[in-house]
Amino acid sequence: MIDDWDGDDETAAGRFLPLYILVNGRTTPRNSSLDLATQVIALPADLSRVEPEYLQILHRCESWISIAEIGAYLHIPLTIVKVMVDVLLEQGYLDSGAPAQRRVVDPALLGAVLAGLERL
Amino acid sequence: MKRTSVKIVVAGGFGTGKTTLVGTVSEIAPLTTEEILTAASIGVDDVTGVEAKTTTTVALDFGRITISPDVVLYLFGTPGQDRFWFMWDELAQGAIGAIVLVDTRRLDSSFPAVDYFERRKIPFVAAVNRFFGECPYTEEEIRGALELSQDIPLVWLDARDRASSKLALVALVRHSMSNLTVAPAR
Repeated sequence: MIDDWDGDDETAAGRFLPLYILVNGRTTPRNSSLDLATQVIALPADLSRVEPEYLQILHRCESWISIAEIGAYLHIPLTIVKVMVDVLLEQGYLDSGAPAQRRVVDPALLGAVLAGLERL
Repeated sequence: MKRTSVKIVVAGGFGTGKTTLVGTVSEIAPLTTEEILTAASIGVDDVTGVEAKTTTTVALDFGRITISPDVVLYLFGTPGQDRFWFMWDELAQGAIGAIVLVDTRRLDSSFPAVDYFERRKIPFVAAVNRFFGECPYTEEEIRGALELSQDIPLVWLDARDRASSKLALVALVRHSMSNLTVAPAR
């Protein structure tokens, strides 16, 4: 009954679609190299056909940002951010940095981190 | 060089100062992000208390340190509740390693974290948080209680203090680098 509706739900925030519809029912990104620290950045593109939920992600990506930060700023759970970022990467709206690795095995990278920390 | 991110996990039992440490060294105020948990991801034995819901969420606190124009380091605190192990896997995969914070009032609360990283051969250092006052134990006693192998560094810090927290991070990266030279070639 519509009269019993207390309005205190996601519609109050302007979100009418369940998130699983936005991501076409996908539950995992096709690109498994996406990690919560993976860096992404928006590419120049025509944004006129981009849905608002995706647009708000692109607006956050004007400079390099991690998937975890997008989730934190936009209050979107990580699983959903990953799938949405994956869709934007596929469609050429985003570029990503180095893919996630299983182990950090690059001595030069570790050396750079060490030097950076010592400068703090 | 492609824009690259690296991760360090900050682990330890409940109330050992994980979020404090992240906030002390982070260049941004610590952020919180959420992950959705389904019954399947928690494991069927552990859904007591969440029966009424099909999903629940777990919060992750994290911070950031820009190392260079191309490299950015993220520090992720593990979720407070031990039952969210699957989340640890995601945090630990590809991480430089972990700092396991130790609260000298409850040494055993950090044992699950030590055990987790030892089993997976993920480099870690144990960091005794001095925040809780005078430490009544010697390094030897702490090593014994946590069953730390001799090659695992043990450092002392105050999670509110930037200099000592930074040294713990440095100790971890050095330890990771030495593991690299010991490990057999790929």
